[in-house]
Amino acid sequence: MKYDVIVVGGRIGGSVSSLIASQNDLDVLMIEKRQEIGTPVQCAGGTTYSTFKTLDMKPKKKFICSEIKGAMAHAPDGREINIFEYGLMVDNLNIESPSKGYVLDRKIFDKHLAIQSAKAGTDIMVKTTAKDLIIKDGRVCGVVAKHLGKTMEIHADIVIAADGVESNIARLAGLENPKKPKDIGSCAQFELVGLDVDPQWLHFYFGREIAPGGYLWIFPKGEDSANLGLGVRSSKNTAYHYLKKFTANLDATPVELNIGGVPLSGPIGKTFTDGLMVVGDAAGQVDPITGGGIHIVTSCAKIAGEVAAEAIKMEDTSAKTLQRYDVLWRDKFEDGLKTSLKYRRAADKLSDKDMNALAEYLVTNHSEKFSKLGAVKFLGKHPHLLKLIKEFL
Amino acid sequence: MEYKADRCGYCAACVAVCPHEILKQDENEIIIIEGCDDCGKCTIVCPLGALNQEEDYL
Ligand SMILES: Cc1cc2nc3c(=O)[nH]c(=O)nc-3n(C[C@H](O)[C@H](O)[C@H](O)COP(=O)(O)OP(=O)(O)OC[C@H]3O[C@@H](n4cnc5c(N)ncnc54)[C@H](O)[C@@H]3O)c2cc1C
Ligand code: SF4
Ligand code: SF4
Repeated sequence: MKYDVIVVGGRIGGSVSSLIASQNDLDVLMIEKRQEIGTPVQCAGGTTYSTFKTLDMKPKKKFICSEIKGAMAHAPDGREINIFEYGLMVDNLNIESPSKGYVLDRKIFDKHLAIQSAKAGTDIMVKTTAKDLIIKDGRVCGVVAKHLGKTMEIHADIVIAADGVESNIARLAGLENPKKPKDIGSCAQFELVGLDVDPQWLHFYFGREIAPGGYLWIFPKGEDSANLGLGVRSSKNTAYHYLKKFTANLDATPVELNIGGVPLSGPIGKTFTDGLMVVGDAAGQVDPITGGGIHIVTSCAKIAGEVAAEAIKMEDTSAKTLQRYDVLWRDKFEDGLKTSLKYRRAADKLSDKDMNALAEYLVTNHSEKFSKLGAVKFLGKHPHLLKLIKEFL
Repeated sequence: MEYKADRCGYCAACVAVCPHEILKQDENEIIIIEGCDDCGKCTIVCPLGALNQEEDYL
């Protein structure tokens, strides 16, 4: 078997890159180790309008659970801050505010993307795992795949690794190393029925007792249900432990449990080599603060599909040509991801007390413009925060 | 390091952090190759406590 492009992984990164490559008349195979694309869900489904702009696709009712108008942050002491009102979300980071957008049904959305890709001509093999790369004279030229116990070699001029957080394919190509536990958000989520929440508002809860090293989210899925989940970075207890703790007294019942790891280390050093590109979670294309990847992965995967098409047309799939992918996606996102990582590292040092103080400052200064004098007074009362800000700057 | 298959949700977070790369994810199981030094990194990231988690959270 021989293809122009083999894509490993059949979720957002895989489906979008294979879709674009197929639309450009390439011969594309996408392989997915699970027997059904889109399951099990490992996502809360929150995304921005830009995802659909990138895809040049109309958001369809069948995968939009709700349209989001705002978001509320809850400090450890219970103080509430309207994120949208404060413009707190990182507009200058080229990362769109998560307080406006959609909550997607990822199962349906991922399947929809795969269907679009198939319609554009992509061959798809499910229940098929890439076990190894075929590397000849230092260049990647296919994968060794296993399907229902049968091992086969499939050749291609380009392999696109969209295999998610484990990033095994990039490792086989020597582009990625094992991550540190502090760079992985360990997540657990229930889809809950019976929660009384506004279907147009997201909620984020912070605090060492709620989600140490991360946060808890509630993303409404229309009138009927909501994704309530959390990501933690802690050796004390599991994500599931904190999930059970928070939901213990809620009058709601789960119909689904999702778990997953989110890479929070920012992008990997190099996302291309001879005959190979790495996209999505596998490449660390995820915001290190929010853990949001959908809109970034979509955009990067589109670039990978386009660069694959150019390379095949030029009959040159060397690292030199594929480097264009790396340059283009970094141009768009790298500064934002790096700044976000810096913020995350600063936030790692905040105690619950610091977070409460910050929340109090924001709430009390709500009606006034944030004055320099007010900020100086506030930091004078909180020398620990001042030290952090100095370190950060 | 003990792997409790009946607590595993096959998310591969553990695979991402094992420094010796001895954890491999097949479709629906984690395979442990020899060479574990009990560093505990996989335990920290496992959302469900399927890797040597002493206490029972369930
Ligand atoms: C609990 C949780 C909540 C999240 N919530 C949000 C959110 O609300 N908004 C947001 O923007 N982002 C969120 N994210 C992040 C987002 O889900 C990811 O950034 C996004 O799904 C990455 O897409 P991907 O295609 O790169 O990888 P993945 O979605 O991980 O897909 C990788 C695919 O590759 C397959 N695969 C792996 N190895 C092989 C192999 N060897 N052979 C064949 N197939 C293979 C896997 O089965 C999988 O289907 C969340 C993540 C988690 C864990
Ligand atoms: S304890 Fe350490 S070496 Fe052993 S499997 Fe876990 S991460 Fe790998
Ligand atoms: S991190 Fe835990 S739940 Fe996830 S695959 Fe590994 S052992 Fe299973």
